[in-house]
Amino acid sequence: MNSLNLILCAVSAAALDICIFVLIITAYREKKSSKKNWHEVSHDMELAEQGKIYELGCDEVLIGRHASADVRLPDLSVSRYHAMMTVSDGVWTIKDIGSKSGLFVNGELIREKVLSENDIIKLGNRRLIFRKRSDKRVR
Amino acid sequence: MYANPIAYFFSSIFVLIAHIAMLVNIYFNGNYTNVRSVAVLGAAVIILDIAYLVGIIFFKQASYILDFLLILIIGMSVIFQSCFGEVGFDVKHYITCIVCLVASKASYLLCRNHKYLQDKKKYIYAAIGIVVLITLVFTSAENMWIEIGSFTIQPSEFLKPLFVLACATSIADQQKKHKVLFFNVVYENIALFGIMAIICLVQVKSHDYGSLPTFLSIYAAGFLLRICYPKAKFSKKKLFAVIAVIVIFLLIGLKYAPEYVQHRLHVDIWSDKTGDGYQQSQALIGIANGGWFGVGPGKGFLANVFAYDNDIVFATVSEEWGLLYALMMVFTIVVITAVPLINPARSYFHGTMSACVSAAFLVQMALNIWGSCNLIPFTGVTVPFISTGGSSLMVSGFMIGMLLAAQSPVFKEQKNKKQEAPVPAWRWNE
Amino acid sequence: MKSIKRTQRIISLVILFFVLGMAVLVFKLIHESSFYMMNSDKHELGFVYDRKGDVLFDGTGKDSYPDNYFLDVGNIIGDDKGQMENTLVAQNIEKLNNYSFSNGLIQNGGQASICTTLDHASNRAVFNAYGYQEGCVSAYNYKTGEILVCTSLPSLDVTKGYDNIANFKPGTLMSKNLYKTVPGSTQKVSTVISALEIMGTSQLFSKSFTCTGKYTNRTGNDIDCHNPYGHGTQNIQEAFENSCNPFFAQLIEDEDLPLDRLKKQYEKMGYAINGAKPEYIDINGIQCETASTTLEDPYQFKTQWGCIGQGDTIVSPIQLMMWQSAIANESGRMTMPYLIDHVTDLKGNVKEKAKTRYSDKLFSESTASSTKQIMLTNGSDRYAYSISGYRVGVKSGTAQVDEGMKENSLLVGFVDDPSFPIAFCILIEDKDSGYLTTEQVAQVLLDNLKNNY
Repeated sequence: MNSLNLILCAVSAAALDICIFVLIITAYREKKSSKKNWHEVSHDMELAEQGKIYELGCDEVLIGRHASADVRLPDLSVSRYHAMMTVSDGVWTIKDIGSKSGLFVNGELIREKVLSENDIIKLGNRRLIFRKRSDKRVR
Repeated sequence: MYANPIAYFFSSIFVLIAHIAMLVNIYFNGNYTNVRSVAVLGAAVIILDIAYLVGIIFFKQASYILDFLLILIIGMSVIFQSCFGEVGFDVKHYITCIVCLVASKASYLLCRNHKYLQDKKKYIYAAIGIVVLITLVFTSAENMWIEIGSFTIQPSEFLKPLFVLACATSIADQQKKHKVLFFNVVYENIALFGIMAIICLVQVKSHDYGSLPTFLSIYAAGFLLRICYPKAKFSKKKLFAVIAVIVIFLLIGLKYAPEYVQHRLHVDIWSDKTGDGYQQSQALIGIANGGWFGVGPGKGFLANVFAYDNDIVFATVSEEWGLLYALMMVFTIVVITAVPLINPARSYFHGTMSACVSAAFLVQMALNIWGSCNLIPFTGVTVPFISTGGSSLMVSGFMIGMLLAAQSPVFKEQKNKKQEAPVPAWRWNE
Repeated sequence: MKSIKRTQRIISLVILFFVLGMAVLVFKLIHESSFYMMNSDKHELGFVYDRKGDVLFDGTGKDSYPDNYFLDVGNIIGDDKGQMENTLVAQNIEKLNNYSFSNGLIQNGGQASICTTLDHASNRAVFNAYGYQEGCVSAYNYKTGEILVCTSLPSLDVTKGYDNIANFKPGTLMSKNLYKTVPGSTQKVSTVISALEIMGTSQLFSKSFTCTGKYTNRTGNDIDCHNPYGHGTQNIQEAFENSCNPFFAQLIEDEDLPLDRLKKQYEKMGYAINGAKPEYIDINGIQCETASTTLEDPYQFKTQWGCIGQGDTIVSPIQLMMWQSAIANESGRMTMPYLIDHVTDLKGNVKEKAKTRYSDKLFSESTASSTKQIMLTNGSDRYAYSISGYRVGVKSGTAQVDEGMKENSLLVGFVDDPSFPIAFCILIEDKDSGYLTTEQVAQVLLDNLKNNY
């Protein structure tokens, strides 16, 4: 194998290398744009409590007292894993996942319910409001 | 709707450049009698690239990165397979590659809505049952393929994506615990364990020991993610328990493995160079012969060895294109499995799915590459995307569709949402 | 949201595992690639040289050499035909291949070679000195460990191939230096070392036993002396010079030399005792057998004969030679011998330069210097004329083989000269078939080494 062929081999290997590199960069760019899309998916909803706002950044949001819950409510009346909020096609659903004190939406004890804007969710002693995101700057 | 048309354009260009560089390398270094064969191969690859890159625009995904990686590796696969022995366009592999691309899109459409599959569990179980039955009825230990025309299908391959789906769906049911005797039992887990056991038994019966670790890895990943749900951290107790169970299973398996498996485990390939160790020893010699930059496309000797295009494909690529290139091919597949690390899934369903798929891909690759290089016992599994084999490629496409779905889940509100009919205040008939 | 991180953790774990495995694989592939290449049909072997650059083996097979040019080193250097496994080329063939992972196989002009420590001229001279008789000679530099001479008769010219293999004499295809043989009275060196180590110099020298030509031991067996009239009363120095069997039989029976300590000392020196699993001495991949003997009861004929050097005791000449290094260096440590001085790769770069290594301590420094003194005295008393020009410490031996049908003659020793540190072992098989003596061979060996050193 002469040196020209060696160079060609190296070039084609380098082309593949660069290509993979570019694609990894693309992946990081897409991460940003998909975050943007996410807010459309979730209809820019959020959970709010007195003086506190919880972002909904994911298809499944776990609400509970445990440190690993996404929306953490440090209150003994809330179960460790109390409720789960899921979104699909822009529709949010809340579901009781075996809580002790029950889950109330607009004062009604439910196991699973589709949420609409400005619903009041009650978990134990805590009240959360499900509403449109007020701070639109975050993008 | 794609947020970054410039990134899209550049990515496409670089994929094309990578393929063109390979084709130029073939033109100057390759072993061909007629330039036409190189031209046909080049045209086929470039046309497939462009067609796919244009086609995916219509899918309106949130993320296209996996598509770029997929077409990159598929193009490489077509070029590799066409060059083994002598440069000549491999039509059959080309068609299976297109099938793979179509399968990826189909599974993307199937899996992208995580709510859609959650209550279809029955169908998944039924499908697994049917495939297991087909495997049991139509295949035997001697022949694990079903021949349909000139294409052969290995039904046990199709268990992989179905098993991934079974592992990933209805994880929320983890919360429904039932008390049996003194134990809190989740029916789902028992069902999964049962499926796992049945699949293992079927594999053992058809003497397909190579696929066992793949299924075990899917099961280990899926099961671990299920039992720890919904906590954010691994429960250490459970982690150790799962590892202990796997180790115990492995030890029992090794102890009671049949004669010929034991033989496989202890064969010294160099003392049996012409017999059982032939493929592996030739593969290693091929890699050594290729060195860093290879002997040139189509000039390898390994194309004369049995199963050069699937079981020892890493060595064949390494001989013709060089170890550097073969490693980069492997790296590309690793990047595919690493995409969920860059851009995490949005739901536990998709996350579990991508973890299972990544584990399956990597374990399969590890078994093939390390096996053919005599690091671990030699098994007849395939490298995803690179090896020939219709079922293998189709299943790989299916599984990458799942990763795709995890990357760009449904984000668009469906327009045809049923609007509730307004309740009439009065009726005509009354 | 948080729980999804867990799926990522699993993926990164699997990827990490895979990448680690690949790293191991790549390392292994590059490391072992020349081994893989040797197993293929494609070889481009280089040369084996002696210490002065004289060719000992031509892997290319292109050049022509005088008839029987490689005869003297045929069965230690060997070739790539696969007939002789325990040879330098067969064990180190990867080093000779003109292949490297980054350069591939070099068809012409590769410079891979093995430069050995052997001295071809001396080897040849010693080989020729044997004439029609058989045996083997090994000699090495006891300070550095370079093996200078390692020849064995009968031998073969590897360039002539193996078509005539049916007519080869037994022992042609192996270097006798590496295989065990009956040491005869050279074993008394080991016994003296053990006695010195256990009793101490002054106590051993104070012992004296009487030889009447025959000694009947406590179990009623006779130990014959080669002198039927007996040597009279002697101390250890006289008995060593006389090589008096009854003296040594009585020494073994002596209560100051307990058998368990004797056994321990023998084991330390590398004997496999009473059927223990023998080990091998590794000389650049060549396996050299180690000594074995039977020591059961100090009053038994078998054990006494074992310590005198007959019966069950067998030692390879290389090991006999290595013990001489531990004595000559007065350190109690053997200098480990080696054949490969350095290796050049296909571009001519020197690599794998040999280093001098020593064994564990076999016996104390004082034992070593006392033994050295005994051997030197023996050399000056008995061999000053037969091996002239050198201050040697030696011990001769006569070994009965084939159930007493034949007698082999052995001579082990060393030259006590800091500028010419040679330890050697000479074996002449069936000494009565000719007129050659070990002293003559030693003279030829040392003269040639002196001239060529």
